Amino acid sequence: MAELLQNLIDGLGRGSIYALLALGVAVIFGVMHLLNFAHGELITVSGYVAFWALGAGWSWYLVVPLIVLVSVTTSLVIERLAFSRVRGADDFTLLLTSFGVHFVVSAIFLLYVSASVKTFSRPGWVTDTFAVGSLRIEVFDTVVIGVTVLALIGTSVLLQRTMFGLALRAAAADFDTARLMGVRSDSVIRGAFALSGALAGIAGIFWLMRAGATQPTAGVNPMLKGVLAALIGGLGSLRGAVLGGLVLGMAEVLLRSRLPDSVASLTEGVVFLLIALLFIFRPQGLVAVAHAERV
Amino acid sequence: MSTNLRRDVAFPLVGAVLLFALFLGAGALYQGLLGGHERLVTFALIDAVIVLGMQIYIGNTGILSFGHIGFGAIAGYAFALLAISPVEKLKRVSDAPFGLADVQLDPWTSIAVAVVVVVVVAAVVGIGLARSGAESGAVSATVITLALLFVTHELARNWPDLTGGDRAGLSFRIGGALDTRVPIYLALFGTIIVARLFAQSRVGRLAVAAREDNLAARAMGVNPLIQQMLGLLLSVAVVGVGASLRVYEKGSILPRDFFFNLTLVTLVMLIVGGRRSVTGALLGVGVITAGRELARRLGQDGFEIFGIGLDDAPLDWIFRENLKTVFLGSAMLAFMIWRPDGLLDDWELDRWLRSRFGRRRSEQPATPPMVEVDGTDALVVRGIDVAFGGFQALRDVSIDAGRHEVVGIIGPNGAGKTTLLNVITGMVPADSGTVVLGGVDLTGRPSFEIARHGLVRTFQNLRLFSALTVRENIEVSALVAQTSRERQPPDVDALVAAAGLWEVRDRRARELDYGTSRRLELARAAAMSPSFLLLDEPTSGMSDAESTSMIEQVRLMAGVIGAGVVVIDHDLNFITGICDRIYCLDCGHVIAEGSPTEIQADPVVQAAYLGSSAQG
Amino acid sequence: MLQVSGLTTRYGEISALRNASLHVGSGEVVGLIGPNGAGKSTLLNSLAGLLEPSEGTVTFDGEDVTGNSPERLLRMGLALVPEHRRIFADLSVEENLRIGGITVPAGRRQPLLDEMAEQFPVLRDKWTMSAGYLSGGEAQQLAIARALMSEPRLLMMDEPSLGLAPVMVDVVFELIASLRDRGRTMLVVEQNATRMLDMADRAYVVRSGAIVAEGTGAELRDGDRLFETFLGN
Repeated sequence: MAELLQNLIDGLGRGSIYALLALGVAVIFGVMHLLNFAHGELITVSGYVAFWALGAGWSWYLVVPLIVLVSVTTSLVIERLAFSRVRGADDFTLLLTSFGVHFVVSAIFLLYVSASVKTFSRPGWVTDTFAVGSLRIEVFDTVVIGVTVLALIGTSVLLQRTMFGLALRAAAADFDTARLMGVRSDSVIRGAFALSGALAGIAGIFWLMRAGATQPTAGVNPMLKGVLAALIGGLGSLRGAVLGGLVLGMAEVLLRSRLPDSVASLTEGVVFLLIALLFIFRPQGLVAVAHAERV
Repeated sequence: MSTNLRRDVAFPLVGAVLLFALFLGAGALYQGLLGGHERLVTFALIDAVIVLGMQIYIGNTGILSFGHIGFGAIAGYAFALLAISPVEKLKRVSDAPFGLADVQLDPWTSIAVAVVVVVVVAAVVGIGLARSGAESGAVSATVITLALLFVTHELARNWPDLTGGDRAGLSFRIGGALDTRVPIYLALFGTIIVARLFAQSRVGRLAVAAREDNLAARAMGVNPLIQQMLGLLLSVAVVGVGASLRVYEKGSILPRDFFFNLTLVTLVMLIVGGRRSVTGALLGVGVITAGRELARRLGQDGFEIFGIGLDDAPLDWIFRENLKTVFLGSAMLAFMIWRPDGLLDDWELDRWLRSRFGRRRSEQPATPPMVEVDGTDALVVRGIDVAFGGFQALRDVSIDAGRHEVVGIIGPNGAGKTTLLNVITGMVPADSGTVVLGGVDLTGRPSFEIARHGLVRTFQNLRLFSALTVRENIEVSALVAQTSRERQPPDVDALVAAAGLWEVRDRRARELDYGTSRRLELARAAAMSPSFLLLDEPTSGMSDAESTSMIEQVRLMAGVIGAGVVVIDHDLNFITGICDRIYCLDCGHVIAEGSPTEIQADPVVQAAYLGSSAQG
Repeated sequence: MLQVSGLTTRYGEISALRNASLHVGSGEVVGLIGPNGAGKSTLLNSLAGLLEPSEGTVTFDGEDVTGNSPERLLRMGLALVPEHRRIFADLSVEENLRIGGITVPAGRRQPLLDEMAEQFPVLRDKWTMSAGYLSGGEAQQLAIARALMSEPRLLMMDEPSLGLAPVMVDVVFELIASLRDRGRTMLVVEQNATRMLDMADRAYVVRSGAIVAEGTGAELRDGDRLFETFLGN
């Protein structure tokens, strides 16, 4: 029982980060029908900036907002340079463009910065734990869960209570009709990328804190988790993306604790297998979004 | 059929020989005159096999697969486990399952077994793809294939007993790797032939039709899932051969050899050349290999060509490697933005050769004779109800049609006419009611089955197979009719001529003007030799003159195949000119039925069209 | 207010609209009637900026607006209530109206919302309900109110009575009549030719992509001749 609760909290901690990543992916997909394989690059770039800043003596209090800022900026730059030129293209083209962007950005990093891992100091409290009954809870997990809840509330407020959020939701539902209302396509898409960047930034803070290091390929794993979680949840549903992230985090933690030691390292592989099976039996994801075909 | 044998077998074979020679020639040129490494060319040849394997699937079905390299990993490891000597295997995988550590087969048998293994896996994955509703451009299919890539990678990394793990992998003894190019030449030659013959085969053509327009293909009786599965199995077999050769040439296998990097390389090669063409795929391999080599040299020689030295740059091998990746990623982006169809789109060498040298002046065939129509195969539709959410689209609708008749369905917008057609052809399920053709209950069956039974339709929005020529469009239906219809349609050429399309028979469907496109859609439907042609607004967008000529067209097409006609249209001139009987629909149910004169004079029909006055 | 001259719009090879010319004066209600597939929607979509015409000009208040984007046209005062209504089903009634007023200064928006609540009691009762649950007639009212939120100078409507039960058709036409009485300039595509002709100042008959007749409501009202014009005899 205690172990289950422990796993639950660990799973929530992990799942929260995945949920933020997935939400960032889903926001862009809703507006552009683009699955962003370059999402993880935002974390890579932020990681290097953090490394540089911490090395220059900045405290983590300053680095945290810096990471978010860098993430948003990078997101907007990528949109301007690459994705703006393939708007309205078919899915095949969009997928491959996103794939290409991922490679170019990560390779540029490898070119201009060293390939080696850059470590940096983590805030002291990251490894602290505290006891509740027979459970050992990581301070880190509680902070992550707390910040994620705040971020989700913030995003929800943004989407539900502001004109920008309204425009975004309308554009995701029916882009052409939104334009008839006067919503500008450029504004809405850039806004989506900025929001996606902010969410990736927040997720990135914790990802980097936990890793304590960065490298050119740092972005692959978060990107993968974000994309897969968004798909598990059902593309086109923001709620689904959050749910997908939580489910993925839980599944990873539970599997790792349940699998016999000899195959524990296969956890990732098994997770992918389960995801593949999910897509086979429920391709629309957990939260289905209706889709009509005009004959 | 002799035209087809020349087009589908003879010319592709000749083209394959030429392509093979050209490709080899380019390689020899590079090696000989430009001082290129022999190994580079060898790998280019092997990569060509893999890329062609991918082309067979991605090009013909239009489904983007990120997973083919994952299949390659499976074949590669299977090959290595079988072909490497027990002595070498002892060093890494002494505890390999299934007693694989003690097995050794000769390399060629090993490749064969590896291909069998990977094709079996592909069959399972293929079932999954089918269930997920794979379709050209669908995201779900691509995601499944991506998941496969990750599954194989993770398994390879984390199952050291089988694969030697992440760092060590499996390897042949020094000197035990492939030392001659002959098998590679054979594999490449064979692959080019297989790829072209597949594209020209029945399966290949139907897959391409489904790629162009999935819905229209199903309406012509094609079951896309079967064609896609067959394409997948063949493509995976070819990739399996290529992957095994790659391992054999390299002499070892590691998980990272068959992961993101090779996926990127092969996809870029396929995209750059043109994924829809075998010639394009080969061109892509050549261009990208040359480009990568250039990038590598630039990185290595540190831009010395341009007078900038980089000799002492730390870790310049990273620079080299990653300049290649930057080049590949940039190439991918550039083409997606500016030329998504690649350099060659779907141009094929042998098709060009045939159009230049193979043309025989053929004579325009005579119009086929009209077919006697008997009373069999009547269409009986009874009590159809359809509701969408709270909205009752159709209420207790019944119609009858005989094969000797032309029956019209008219009514204002939103009356339910197209919905009725969708129900009859299986694209929308009815909540109740039956659709019976010649005594056979077709209610609720999938649309491709209904088409094969003899109910074929055209579309309001015109759905042609745009990249295919006029003749090829009609051929798709004829191919399906061959195996599903008792009464065979007239010869394809005769139908082309009868439809007035003889002059444009080799033009692509997307190049045609509107009126010609409509006639093509009609002819394509007729080529299925159905019992009924169901036409959805065939004159929509036409001028009055064009509509009038359509009357003759429809009568002619229906006459040469002996089909009845059910036609929806708004052009009352056209309808009254062609129909024997007319049903008028409004608000989802039949409000009038009769001959054209009766209908025109019916005040109920007038009111439906012009709108009734205020109620209150 | 609106001058259209020689407008031709193509879908690929189809000339869906051929050489159409019409005008709408300030305060007028002008109808576009005709059989289906005739090109009426194509005409409105071209005017609203959703389709780009290949030939011809569109002048709004003396300014050439041919080929402008929908966003720009809306800000100039041209609003479209699209065919099939196209309300945002996942948004609430209020949110649908709000987004209709996105181009209006923030301070003006709330007063406008209050106005709509008053003018459309049916919507006021379902203010926070998800728009997807509205009936056809209610959705049509929402679509019209949404377009009114942008305070348009010219209101265009594409088949407002499409797919509605007869009672709701009455409601919608009453609504259009009251808008007319308040001086709204409107260009309305309608299937229900009889009722449109009762309501409009003038109308054009569109068939096979071209304008084949023009006149006042009364002139065109003659039933048999109208049916024949539709038929094309």
